[in-house]
Amino acid sequence: MTTKVDAVVGWARKNSLWPMPFGTACCAIELMATLASRFDLARFGAEAIRFSPRQSDLLIVSGRVSIKMMPVLKKIYDQMPEPKWVISMGACASSGGVFNTYTLVQGVDQYIPVDVYIPGCPPRPENVIQALMKIQEKVAQAKAN
Amino acid sequence: MGKAVDNQEERQTEGVGRPGRPEPDPGIVTTRIRARFGDTSVSTGNAVGCESVIAERDALLPFMTFLRDDPELAFDYLVDVTAVDRLRLDEEVRFAVVYQLYSHKHNRRFSVSVPVPEADPRIGSVVSVWPGANWLEREVYDMYGIVFEGHPDLRRILMPDDFGSYPLRKDYPLHGKGERDNFVF
Repeated sequence: MTTKVDAVVGWARKNSLWPMPFGTACCAIELMATLASRFDLARFGAEAIRFSPRQSDLLIVSGRVSIKMMPVLKKIYDQMPEPKWVISMGACASSGGVFNTYTLVQGVDQYIPVDVYIPGCPPRPENVIQALMKIQEKVAQAKAN
Repeated sequence: MGKAVDNQEERQTEGVGRPGRPEPDPGIVTTRIRARFGDTSVSTGNAVGCESVIAERDALLPFMTFLRDDPELAFDYLVDVTAVDRLRLDEEVRFAVVYQLYSHKHNRRFSVSVPVPEADPRIGSVVSVWPGANWLEREVYDMYGIVFEGHPDLRRILMPDDFGSYPLRKDYPLHGKGERDNFVF
């Protein structure tokens, strides 16, 4: 019986993800394109972008994160209610990208757990949709509680 | 001109206003400054496509106030304040703080360079002359560690407050000194 509840809750969750965008660079432009009519993230139930972390369950880190910005990102992640998932979008968020410099965090996964990485500089909207579908697979398998 | 062996170098650098080299014909701004301060206080050049001057930091504030208030100069707009680290270059003084000026009245640009020694990296603030210098001087302080005396609020502007280095100094490594890996929050 519990497995069936898990399945129902997982199905509901994966089709109503509320993303919290953390856009700090050009990846955020591609993220906006993903949300807009041509690519239409609403097809996956994830069009309700929330700019409050307290109303979100999917953090999309799209762009460079400096050592001055990392505490902000960590605070936003901590404010999101469980259960929550994280997408690291693009080369900069995932590894620092070309910015191998003194002030840039070389991958946000050093400080917050990342579920799906998107390669690219910046990734095209198709990559973002693919990442969202990967997140959906993961959400569907999660326990209800 | 020097001896024959020096001629080639002499030709290449001719007219850039270095010490010991022939200076270009003084322009309007240079003439005006010399009329006010005399020949000794400044050396002038034409390094960046406009007239420029190498000024002394001790008398900076009266000099800058003159540039702003003199009706024939009227440099009412401070375009930028930045600094140059001339480490390992053939210069006696390591730093130079550079002020880019513009006069709306005369549609004229001017550049002021002020040498600042490494052992005593201090210079007077020009916020009292151009209020727009506030954040520009904070950035120079943040990146080069040059202290602007008399600045109303000299804090770091780009780097975190507890960042211990001055990252645009030429002896600071590109990848930092471990700040990006060891910071705590």
